[in-house]
Amino acid sequence: MSDKLKQIINKQSEQQGAETLDQSDDIVQLVGFVIGEEEYAVPILAIQEIIKPFTWTRCPQVPKYVLGVFNLRGSVIPLIDLRVKFGLPPKSHNDETRFFVLKQDEDVAGFVIDRLTSAIRIKKQNIGPAPDTINGDDTMIDGVGKKEDRIITILKVDKLLARDF
Amino acid sequence: MDEFQEILQDFLVESFELVEKLDEDLVELENTPEDLELLNGIFRVAHTVKGASSFLNFDVLTHLTHHMEDVLNKARHGDLIITPDIMDVILESIDLMKTLLNTIRDTSADAGIDVSACVARLDKVSNGLEEGESLTSNAPEATVETSAIEDVPAEEEPDYDNMDPDELEAEIERLLNQRQEEDKAKREAKIAAGESVPKAPPAPSEEAESKREPTPAPVSPTPPPATISEAKKESDVKAAAPVNRAQTSVEQTIRVDVKRLDHLMNLIGELVLAKNRLIKINDDVEERYEGEEFLEELNQVVSIVSLVTTDLQIAVMKTRMLPIGKVFNKFPRMIRDLTRELNKKIELEISGEDTELDKSIVEEIGDPLVHIIRNSCDHGIEVPSVRMAAGKSETGTIALRAYNEGNQIVIQIDDDGKGLDANMLKNKALEKGLISEKEADNMSDKEAFSLIMKAGFSTAAAVTNVSGRGVGMDVVKTNIEKVNGIIDIESEMGKGSSMRLKIPLTLAIIQALLVGVQEEHYAIPLASVLETVRISKDEIYTVEGRSVMRLREDVLSLVHIGDIFEVERILDVSEHAYVVVLGLGTSKLGLIVDTLVGQEEIVIKSLGEYLKGIDGIAGATIRGDGGVTLICDVVALMDMAKGVKSTIMDNDAGKESSNEKTKASDYTVMIVDDSKTDRMIMKKALEPIGVTLVEASDGQEALNILKSGEHSFDALLIDIEMPRMDGYSLASEIKKYNRYKNLPLIAVTSRTGKSDRMRGVESGMVEYITKPYSADYLSSVVQRNVNFKSEFL
Repeated sequence: MSDKLKQIINKQSEQQGAETLDQSDDIVQLVGFVIGEEEYAVPILAIQEIIKPFTWTRCPQVPKYVLGVFNLRGSVIPLIDLRVKFGLPPKSHNDETRFFVLKQDEDVAGFVIDRLTSAIRIKKQNIGPAPDTINGDDTMIDGVGKKEDRIITILKVDKLLARDF
Repeated sequence: MDEFQEILQDFLVESFELVEKLDEDLVELENTPEDLELLNGIFRVAHTVKGASSFLNFDVLTHLTHHMEDVLNKARHGDLIITPDIMDVILESIDLMKTLLNTIRDTSADAGIDVSACVARLDKVSNGLEEGESLTSNAPEATVETSAIEDVPAEEEPDYDNMDPDELEAEIERLLNQRQEEDKAKREAKIAAGESVPKAPPAPSEEAESKREPTPAPVSPTPPPATISEAKKESDVKAAAPVNRAQTSVEQTIRVDVKRLDHLMNLIGELVLAKNRLIKINDDVEERYEGEEFLEELNQVVSIVSLVTTDLQIAVMKTRMLPIGKVFNKFPRMIRDLTRELNKKIELEISGEDTELDKSIVEEIGDPLVHIIRNSCDHGIEVPSVRMAAGKSETGTIALRAYNEGNQIVIQIDDDGKGLDANMLKNKALEKGLISEKEADNMSDKEAFSLIMKAGFSTAAAVTNVSGRGVGMDVVKTNIEKVNGIIDIESEMGKGSSMRLKIPLTLAIIQALLVGVQEEHYAIPLASVLETVRISKDEIYTVEGRSVMRLREDVLSLVHIGDIFEVERILDVSEHAYVVVLGLGTSKLGLIVDTLVGQEEIVIKSLGEYLKGIDGIAGATIRGDGGVTLICDVVALMDMAKGVKSTIMDNDAGKESSNEKTKASDYTVMIVDDSKTDRMIMKKALEPIGVTLVEASDGQEALNILKSGEHSFDALLIDIEMPRMDGYSLASEIKKYNRYKNLPLIAVTSRTGKSDRMRGVESGMVEYITKPYSADYLSSVVQRNVNFKSEFL
């Protein structure tokens, strides 16, 4: 019996070992989403959760793209409409709309996105720098990922969470 | 000795905190040298440390911080630009300050560190003598010398030249006392370390008269410094520690990490939210199942839970409570020193030192109280001769009292000094450009008194060690407002003045008044609400573009909460409004709201890093229904009200969305009916004319479609009998919105009674079609109501 158990454990650890090999450093895991026509992505570890839209409270004296605040299990979290932030006209929420809750250190915020695509694994060498036309430290773009026929804009989480008003 | 130790501990904790913050601020300042706010903050830290250390007789520290303060003061007034070179000197002095504080922590004295080099550089900076010599050159390491005998007089000497004989004598005596205290401490430490020490020598009296040797060497019973090895010193410190510990163990208390208490408080906060929610659900259930038996039981459980929660909250709050005596304790000594320094006779009366306050608040009010009392001593109480001339007793009295008043603690500081001169204050403020001529004319005495708390206002002509840089009262106001407190000043010329600080018991959970504006709710801390009044539109007058109303004898300026928070006017405003009268110290403001929702206990949550510092919003709370409600910052609200243009009266009569119709399908009609067959019949009747049709199966759905704004409707066909929301309710809901004022609502129903028709009209229906109807009739009614252009047919 214990032999069998050992075998199983060995097998599991082997598998895990194999997986960790797979996830070696040169692969980046992202979650992709769509805003307007384009696909964007953020690192999977920065995402606290993805939830369906629900009611929020409007907040005065803030830019248009800050919709307000909402209650996430007892915490009050700001809600930001990425469509508006990216200069697109606002759109009413539908079945595919999601709130993306990003977290970095103590900063947490919810972002409204049009549609979720999928989890993306992408090799580091397939990620290029942001185009030269968008330069400077102000850019929100971390890099551009190429995956098969898609081009995915990878966003900087700290820039998304940084207050810029 | 015990008392001194206690004060010393507080001083050290506070100073280390301040200095830590200082480092961060200074570095930031180097990046943004013109940030006045930051500079003010840094300046206050130096000021506070200086003040506290001077009362504890840490002369070296006082000396150093005084010069730091000079430099920072210049920078604050724009006389000095902070260059990296100057910053180096400031940072060096801060490092020195830290070393001094460490020495004080270890030895209870600040002797033995040479600050003169640094002070000289600070002076150079403040006097603007920037010769070729670099400021940063050869900054000597702060050397800890075991003997203070040489250093102390060396630094103090320059000051003696400016002293009159009386002051000098006081100074000498103080230095002697300090010396004796140090010696005593050392002896005690040694006794504890098991060393035999010679008996204390008699207090020197002859030597004290000599001018050049204020700290006479013969007093020192300690062996020459050279014989004290470093190891011995360490053992001294170690030996001294157990003595302190023995003293504290007498108290019957358990020391608990504040973090644990904070966590407990947070949990209670969650519980209070859950309780609010439970109460709300209970109300709903009560409404729906009126008269059912189980309601009674539910009611009992809910009330027990709410009772226990409240008790629990109070109990946890109490664990965080500290007697205010902890703060009051340091004042008798302070007054004693001040009386000597200022040559005044002042008596301090303390009462209510057992009054308890939340720990975090106790920490916040220490500084403000120091400043207020120093101000009273310096500016309030007159010198004995003046007092005699005015027919008062030679000794002035400052009374420090603390007591409970409802949900608040009041700390009252009374003095029987000369009082505040309202006119003088006004003139001074005018001179400094803090107020305009017009403002000064309209200012009541009380408002004039509160001028002393404006930043940059100081009534003292000369800069003394005690006060008069115009920061003190500014700090008071900032700190008190930080804990949601308010300051009330009363004064009578020649009789004295009285300052009352009203402070809430706790910070985390407050009573609030919930108000509604349009579809939004806001919470206003109840402590700032004086009263609420219901008024009608014609009670509001406009004076110079501002709305005002008459409230009994006074004229109250008004502002609409919607104007402050940029609320979109979608609902029609009713004839009546409510005015919440906000009071903050002497100023009052009427806040117009649409509805009063009620009073509720709310838990304050921060808005987080991203949204912090929004004007007018102090935080948020989570309501019983799980929604978030924003909490108004009354202080900011009052400021904002000054700049807000009133729009209460102009009801921009719903911008007509009369888009030009170019084809039949530009017309959109919604069919609201719960029966699919009925909807089909209506559709069949209207399809031939080619209008766009949208369907909804009940009133609620119809309202949601309407609100979503995806379509702009030209007419609604509404059935009366529907689940969830019937036709009448739907019609009256729709009519609340400004922009649907003129939207034709057509009832299509089998109800034919006269009273039904009447209800239809009352709720805002324009047409009433009874079932059954002919397709042509329906079509013609719709065409008439949407102004259908015949050419599209």
